[in-house]
Amino acid sequence: MSARHFRSMVLPVVLVVLWQAWAMTLPAKSAAPSPAHVVKEFGALVSSGALPSATVQSLGRVVLGFVLGAMLGITTGALMGAFRSVHRNLDPIIETFRPVAAIAILPMVILWCGTGLLAAVAIVGYAAFFPLVINTAHGVSHVDRRLVQAALTMGVKPSTILRTVLLPAALPSIFVGARLAMGIAWTAIIAAELAVGAKAGGPGGSGGLGEMMFVDYSYSVDLNGIVVCMIVVGIVSLLIDRGFRAAERRLLAWRL
Amino acid sequence: MPAEQPPKLRLCGIGKRFGGNVVAVQSMDLEVIAGEFLCIVGPSGCGKSTVLNMIAGLDQPSDGSIEKDGVLIKGPGADRGVMFQDYALFPWRTVEANIGFGLRYGPRARQISAAERHARVGRLVDTVGLRGSEHKYPHQLSGGMRQRCALARLLANEPDVLLMDEPLAALDAQTRTILQGELLRIWGEVRPVEERRTAIFITHGIDEAVFLADRVVVMSSQPGRVTAIIDIGLPRPRAESVRTDPEFGRLTEEIWSLIRDQAYRAIA
Repeated sequence: MSARHFRSMVLPVVLVVLWQAWAMTLPAKSAAPSPAHVVKEFGALVSSGALPSATVQSLGRVVLGFVLGAMLGITTGALMGAFRSVHRNLDPIIETFRPVAAIAILPMVILWCGTGLLAAVAIVGYAAFFPLVINTAHGVSHVDRRLVQAALTMGVKPSTILRTVLLPAALPSIFVGARLAMGIAWTAIIAAELAVGAKAGGPGGSGGLGEMMFVDYSYSVDLNGIVVCMIVVGIVSLLIDRGFRAAERRLLAWRL
Repeated sequence: MPAEQPPKLRLCGIGKRFGGNVVAVQSMDLEVIAGEFLCIVGPSGCGKSTVLNMIAGLDQPSDGSIEKDGVLIKGPGADRGVMFQDYALFPWRTVEANIGFGLRYGPRARQISAAERHARVGRLVDTVGLRGSEHKYPHQLSGGMRQRCALARLLANEPDVLLMDEPLAALDAQTRTILQGELLRIWGEVRPVEERRTAIFITHGIDEAVFLADRVVVMSSQPGRVTAIIDIGLPRPRAESVRTDPEFGRLTEEIWSLIRDQAYRAIA
């Protein structure tokens, strides 16, 4: 571990120590979470297999929904960035829906798609769509016009220019959108799983980390379990973001 | 130049207005002969770049028409290659991939096999002296190397007409002098006239224009129009020593006297 990594760990460790010290002043029966209890609960949830399977379930939904949202968002954004008429027509619609949180469309999604994988993918895809469409459109519309002109004077067709000039030039913006979308995808899926878990009225509903959090809350009032889920979500998305950054460094090596 | 030869390009009463009444170019007539190296000089804002863009088909004239080989120019095409002042290299492509871009994604009819493409790109990398840098990205190159890369990309597509907009402006004096010689060699100075490409070259440098050109078009500004066309009778191939030729000095002075007043007015 490098010195830089070590320094970035100092504050989290200090906060955990303070949290444990505070928890030790509470009565033994207190429901408040403490680091020691969280670690114990983490061990129990891992050995029972509940935590790994919930994590895999949520992760799968996030990845599938993200892929769907990315395909729609990048395609739509590229067309909006390249053609002013497309932008003019779609922008008001997109900006109207953007402030509507993914969780707010959950009732409609459940009505149409049920509570299975399709619904989860729809929710996550909806959430991931907006950062990607906006950043792709911005990136494509700000590509240096000279580069497009250069391709035109080489006799390259406009449809080929979209693929070979506009999208590669907009890739840095698309990456920004993708990283934002991945974060929002997690908030959407946990919220959706919580809500579906609440609707199903107990274990055996839709599964996933969100449902696990709901069950811990409403059946056993086990706040330690909720904290375990929070930490897992945080760490998994941190790892995904690190993966995005590594891909960015590789794919955008052409930048300064 | 034989006068009876049909022109490669014919600009007929060209006018260009921007945003209402700003007249960039007014009633300009010009015939460009096949195989000639034509330089356009003039003060800033005389519409030189606008003329080049219209020949490239990137801009449409407001009045008049431009024909190439008797056919009206309606839009950009691979037959008229452009080398932009800022080079417009694709930053995410290596030197090799930039040079081969038009061959790979250009019109199907002109497309060649991958092996042929690599061979041609390889030859051009050698021609412009970029061997050893062919896998670098543009941001890793010096200004002079980027310029060579842009020149190689222009030549790779083997356009009928080469359009160059102040391509050497950003370079230091020594590099510029070296590349002027290289440019003439690549254009085909040592070959017979009928095997040369047609080149239109915009520059601020009067001595550069005299060194390179068969003819120099002098433009004036507000509105942009042709003031004079000067024949440069200096022998080819042109050696560095031509710059000390009395005729070279006389031509430079003649062209300078044509744009002097305007140039002073432009900076006043």
